Amino acid sequence: MVNVKLVNVTKRFGRVVAVNKVTLVAEHGEFFTLLGPSGCGKTTTLRIIAGLEYADEGKIIFDDTDVTDLPPYKRGTGMVFQNYALWPHMTVFDNIAYGLKIKKLPKDEVRRRVKEVLDLIKLTGMEDRYPTQLSGGQQQRVALARALVVEPKVLLLDEPLSNLDAKLRVEMREEIQRIQKKLGITAIYVTHDQEEAMVISDRIAVLNQGTVMQVGTPQELYKRPRNLFVATFLGRYTIAEGLVKEVSSEGLVLLHTPAVKLLGIVTSPEIRLKEGDKAVAIIRPHAFKFHEPQTKSSPITGVIEWVSYLGPYYEARLKVGKLSFLMTVDPSIKVEVGMKLTVYVHPEDIVIFPAKALREESYGAELK
Amino acid sequence: MASFLLRKIRRELDSLTSSQLIIVLFLLTFFLLLPLGSILYKGFVVGNHFSLAYVEQTFKDPQMIKIPPNTALMKFTQIYRFKLLPNGSRALIPINILAIGSEGPDFGYILNSIFVSTSVMIFASIIGVIAAFIIARYDFPGKNVFRVLLFIPLLATPFVNAYVIGKVLGTSGLVNYLLNNVFHLPYKLVISGLPAVIIIQTLSFFPIVYMNVLSSIINIDPSMEEQAENLGAHGLKLFRTITFPLSLPGLASGATLVFVFSMEDLGAPIGLAGAFGNGLHTHLMSFYVFSQFQQAYSLSLVNPEAYIVATIMLTIATIGFIIIKKYVSLRQYAMLSKGGRWSPRLSRPKWLGLAGVYAFMTLLVITASFPQFGVIVLSLTNWATSGPLPTHLTPNYILALVEKPGVVQAIKNSATYSGLAIAITVLLGTSAAYIVARRNITGREAIDVLATIPIVIPGIIIAVGFLVFFGSLFPNTLFDPFINPGTLLIFTYTVRRSPFLTRSVFAGLQQTHVSLEEAAMNLGASRTRTFFSITIPLVAANVIGGSILSFVYMMNETSTSLILGSHQPSQGPITFLMSQVIYGSGQVSAVSIAAALGVLLMTLQIIAIAVSNYILKQRVAFLGV
Ligand SMILES: Nc1ncnc2c1ncn2[C@@H]1O[C@H](COP(=O)(O)OP(=O)(O)O)[C@@H](O)[C@H]1O
Ligand SMILES: [Mg+2]
Repeated sequence: MVNVKLVNVTKRFGRVVAVNKVTLVAEHGEFFTLLGPSGCGKTTTLRIIAGLEYADEGKIIFDDTDVTDLPPYKRGTGMVFQNYALWPHMTVFDNIAYGLKIKKLPKDEVRRRVKEVLDLIKLTGMEDRYPTQLSGGQQQRVALARALVVEPKVLLLDEPLSNLDAKLRVEMREEIQRIQKKLGITAIYVTHDQEEAMVISDRIAVLNQGTVMQVGTPQELYKRPRNLFVATFLGRYTIAEGLVKEVSSEGLVLLHTPAVKLLGIVTSPEIRLKEGDKAVAIIRPHAFKFHEPQTKSSPITGVIEWVSYLGPYYEARLKVGKLSFLMTVDPSIKVEVGMKLTVYVHPEDIVIFPAKALREESYGAELK
Repeated sequence: MASFLLRKIRRELDSLTSSQLIIVLFLLTFFLLLPLGSILYKGFVVGNHFSLAYVEQTFKDPQMIKIPPNTALMKFTQIYRFKLLPNGSRALIPINILAIGSEGPDFGYILNSIFVSTSVMIFASIIGVIAAFIIARYDFPGKNVFRVLLFIPLLATPFVNAYVIGKVLGTSGLVNYLLNNVFHLPYKLVISGLPAVIIIQTLSFFPIVYMNVLSSIINIDPSMEEQAENLGAHGLKLFRTITFPLSLPGLASGATLVFVFSMEDLGAPIGLAGAFGNGLHTHLMSFYVFSQFQQAYSLSLVNPEAYIVATIMLTIATIGFIIIKKYVSLRQYAMLSKGGRWSPRLSRPKWLGLAGVYAFMTLLVITASFPQFGVIVLSLTNWATSGPLPTHLTPNYILALVEKPGVVQAIKNSATYSGLAIAITVLLGTSAAYIVARRNITGREAIDVLATIPIVIPGIIIAVGFLVFFGSLFPNTLFDPFINPGTLLIFTYTVRRSPFLTRSVFAGLQQTHVSLEEAAMNLGASRTRTFFSITIPLVAANVIGGSILSFVYMMNETSTSLILGSHQPSQGPITFLMSQVIYGSGQVSAVSIAAALGVLLMTLQIIAIAVSNYILKQRVAFLGV
């Protein structure tokens, strides 16, 4: 169990900068996730930590040891590959025992530890099967067991659930989290699925085009995204564009859109807005209140144009001018299409960013 | 920056990679680069100075380039023969002999080779493309029989097959026997010289085009043709605009291989010389170099023009290799070898088409495979001495394989050299393939080229390189080609045939996900341990399959066996003995022993192809370059 530090790590493939000056720390025993769209450099970052790829610049440090130039077999990481990488010419037992045999452990200890880890991942009795005789979920467990049995300093997982069906995915992610907490091991997890990342992680680093956009707990990222990329990559939202009318001394920003006036907050000291700037507001679906609150808030009046029943709650769209706000609605409140309605949003739930971020190339694709 | 490079070198050169690099570079330098380099040295360095004197001498030599060329293609002569008339009297009747190729064409050795190779390439391409298209796109009863029969011409029976063709096409051969004695026509047809070489080589090399084009067509995504049909193209138009252009990579590499193989071939000229005596069919670059070095007991007796001719052949082969590389990169090769993943587009021809398909295929299969069948007949009967047709069966020639000491010795020699060469080849091939497929080191491309280019380099050129390099620098040692040609044969076999194994292992590595090896290293296995416990077991089928193919090609290796073997006949392998028997010995029935050896080689080849197809589950690895 170690803390893993990346300092200014850069990796290029020809002209592609796959990882761009990444600096991160995953703490002792932490479940740390690298999240981002496909091609943003998550796998490359993980492979650099494992030593399967070498950084062009920067350092990798485990606790106080600089491992930047160590070959993979001297790093003591345990990696679970996206395709599991189980050896087809070995049984489940031999696959799992491989790392222990390399360490030249006595035979009975190898047996004991393989058995222990098989219990841990609930695959007892499968020792003699070959990987091709296992289901996807079982293969996944064997891959996990093979990485865990050597008691690695850090567990590395590259989209381990992406080849499983939706139901198994939910089961396995809970399982992985349970095992990680039980062993107290540092884990670095790669995924492009923001929901998976939110559920499983202690902290998340959001990556885009090789750059770290923000690091934080799931709550921080969701409630206080520090840039438009993070705001729009995580969760669902409504975006409204307008002009800054006023910036108050407490930092509240009043935004006039053609349809409504919105009072919101700015999440990063790097964002400086002044009167007359073009800006956008991001509002999450659950932020809408149906009774006027005591505190300051932005009222929004419109007509319900679409309602959908999703089990425990409804989703609805409120049309105001050219804007259409996506809201979750508690079933206790009756909404139907065509109904006129006023809802209220607290300033903390409206996050304002400069509009030029919207035009920046890197966001364009993600906003669609 | 410098320290970054140093760190990178330290990281990449672990003990496995360093050992593999040393093995590959040592073998390829000593047994390929330096021998080839010494040919250039001999040809271009006169008295310690670079000189074009020999080049000039060669190009002015009327034997090499004949000015004006002789373009006569055929010659008519009339002879008179007594014939027994029904009334018992005898009459002198004329017989018209049409001799093709005996007087001409003749452009001199260099241009003759180019003329022959170009013609063979064109004819083999036409036949190969038609055959491939029929097999790929038509479904007809008996198709699989034809598929198998189309492989027969690829079974090498060095010298004897050309001898059979000579025997069939000769003055008193089967064709003329039919003309004179069965149809009672007063004509004889005799084909020799360059036209005979062209016919023999076309018939034995067209399957190379056929296989390469076939694998290209099979790998065309059917939706491409379906889209074109959807837009209204069909029949010949569809073929011309879609199918044919998409199969061009296969045609380009197949045709280039045919050109190079035809240029280096010694089987046809030597076999024809055995059947007709020396004639224009020996006026080829390959035969010229062969004769220069076969007779020379000392290098000082060799005409320096031979080095220039060798350089010309080497240059043409290298250009051919570049063309093939350009069209079929290694990556595409991996794709090709996976075979048809799509359901094939097959149509059933109407009866007229069907008749055409059968006529073409039957004619092709019969003309292309009769030499191989002839070899079998030759080995089992008294055909060699009985005139146009055999009269009785005899087991003597097959028994000679185990009874005649000289023959047994040759078989032993071949097996020993090939066995040792395979051991070295496995080391060389797996190392080269692993470095090229898995290691990211500078110079990787150069290793890739060096490890695969021997496929196109004529064997005679390698043999000459060995004679010059080892003959001048290692006299009276284990590596002296005049005393110990056997030792050097092991290395010529290794260098010439290792590309088959390298290719096969490379394909295996491409189909094995690298994460399987990374997982082992992640668990603490060094690269060496990973290589032996994970990589090799995963590509074992490719190593075995590649070894079998390489082994069989080693047993069949002709050109270096001939040139090196001739300096110590007791160390000569099978093919050397065959050439001796056909070309050297005056004892006619010995041809039948050569045929028996040919049958032995064919049997080995059939077994090897069957086994490696079974192991590798693919057909294309065999000659796909
Ligand atoms: N071995 C490689 N060679 C060339 N480019 C690569 C290689 N590996 C990754 N890349 C490129 O680096 C970028 C990041 O890739 P990757 O780390 O795999 O992304 P992710 O895992 O986030 O989807 C991509 O543009 C990818 O094409
Ligand atoms: Mg990835």
